[in-house]
Amino acid sequence: MTPVVAFHDVSKWYGNVIGINKLTLAVRAGVTGLLGPNGAGKSTLLQLATGQLKPSQGAVRVLGQPVWNNSTLNRRIGLCPEQDAFYEWMTGWDFVHTCARLSGLARGEARAAAERTIETVGMTKHKDRAIRGYSKGMRQRIKLAQALVHEPDVLLLDEPLTGTDPVARRDLMDVIQRLGSEGKSVLVSSHVLHEVQSLTPSIVLLSRGRLVAEGNVRQIRELIDEHPHQIVLHADDYRRLAARLLAFDDVEGVRVLGGESGVMVETRAPDAFYGRLPALYLDEGLAIKAVYSDDDNLEAVFKYLVRK
Amino acid sequence: MVDAATTTPTAGRGLPRISRVSAFWTLYALSLRQHLHGKRWLVMALMFLLPVGLAVVVRLTAPDVPPEALEFALVMMFVPQALLPIVALLYASGIIQDEQEEQTITYLLLRPIPKWAIYTLKLLSAMTTTAALVVVFTALTYVAIYVGAETPIGEVAGRCLKAASIHALAVITYCSVFGLISLLTNRVLIVGILYTAIVEGLLANLPFSIRLITVIYYARLIAYRTMTFRVPLSDGGSKDVAAEAWQLPAVSDAKLAEHPQLGTCIAVLLIASLACTVIAGWLCTQREFHVKTPEKE
Repeated sequence: MTPVVAFHDVSKWYGNVIGINKLTLAVRAGVTGLLGPNGAGKSTLLQLATGQLKPSQGAVRVLGQPVWNNSTLNRRIGLCPEQDAFYEWMTGWDFVHTCARLSGLARGEARAAAERTIETVGMTKHKDRAIRGYSKGMRQRIKLAQALVHEPDVLLLDEPLTGTDPVARRDLMDVIQRLGSEGKSVLVSSHVLHEVQSLTPSIVLLSRGRLVAEGNVRQIRELIDEHPHQIVLHADDYRRLAARLLAFDDVEGVRVLGGESGVMVETRAPDAFYGRLPALYLDEGLAIKAVYSDDDNLEAVFKYLVRK
Repeated sequence: MVDAATTTPTAGRGLPRISRVSAFWTLYALSLRQHLHGKRWLVMALMFLLPVGLAVVVRLTAPDVPPEALEFALVMMFVPQALLPIVALLYASGIIQDEQEEQTITYLLLRPIPKWAIYTLKLLSAMTTTAALVVVFTALTYVAIYVGAETPIGEVAGRCLKAASIHALAVITYCSVFGLISLLTNRVLIVGILYTAIVEGLLANLPFSIRLITVIYYARLIAYRTMTFRVPLSDGGSKDVAAEAWQLPAVSDAKLAEHPQLGTCIAVLLIASLACTVIAGWLCTQREFHVKTPEKE
């Protein structure tokens, strides 16, 4: 089976800085999440996949064809870039229509495609306003529209949800999921795990330009769960809570946060731990005011996986 | 899992028809629109109003100055020496750099347009804009110089047409040169100003063969071979101001036989433009246009 996007032993250097380090990766059809903390090489990977960058070493192929200096292939690829840059003086409709025309669509087709795509991203109401007046969410939507307007087979979305409000986020996620169900191949980059998790079970983890892990999100989560989670609990009777928590088998350590009336727990089974919390109140009257995990973020997980 | 080769492009619709001509035309038109939306053309227009304003002032304060002398000083000396290289430099230096700085080049690189074509089309739009500015303001300068003068309007129109054409050809060549320089260095404005001062300013005014490498030398020769620059003197005679100012041996060699002929001059400028464009286009195909890199971050 030909992968949609294939990296074979690819490295990319910017002078002395390594953007991508000996990456071999095959992205199959469907929606794939590209996860990594800031500076992991996600944007570099996407720019390599769109032929904007030339690999320093190795080969990048999209739909079986080399991408560098292969502008014909661009008719089958769409990219929603990370940078918040536009021809600000254009209206949203003008921008998307111009992108359609730049993609080689004839005047009538471009007009219809622009209308259709703007509708898809929910910007019909605002299409005649200048982009310079758009909110961040609108800008992300119109940026996605330009990536879709020529009906590409492969869509590469670089942090498409960054800076969006919850409504725009939900709408954009719906659009991405719909594209996947329509048979498009979509590679979505993000540094937020739960964002990608709700889009696709298939994810690729990058850190410092290297492939850390790839596969089903459940497998990745298992890897993540091996990493001791730090969970903070706040309660008035936090000393009794600490003593009680120490009795749990999966709790590896408890630290009292005196100034905050709370405790920090380290556990390798966070789901089981969370499951036992209601009983603490119901059976023992320990009222917990707040629970949060301050290290359930990719940075900590990546550090753990890279060390592994 | 779906094989990439069997992935359907759209649900229920075929691939849209793609026309490169349409893409090329749109990029050219987009670049022209960018020029109009920027403030650069207003600045350029103000600069080009300088010779117009000077002509008006001289005509009002020194009516004895022959319009032919004023025409030579402003249209044939000031404009080609000072304004044409600057207007070309300001437009051509931004052909790619402006899109990179504004991070909009991504939207062009993602289209089925080869990089050499992106450069060439944007260069063509810069040439169109600069040539249009030059033609309009050369005509205005002629109006300011000759309005109310005794010179027949047909003769003035002919001279204006020739001067505007020569200026347009020169500015197009400058655009090609500065466009190429902009791909070779990030300090294109500094290099361009140095080029203008040293090559087009100093070397072009030396009566040696080194001036054969300058644009302005060929522009002057085209002007000299197609127009007359005899300014009437108070004693009833006339003086060839161009031969003296441009170091041309019109007295010893009236036909300037040792200098390139008209056709050669035009061909040299056009071939130089073409060569610079081809080299720059080739450079573009070899280059990455970084928008965001770890280094820049």
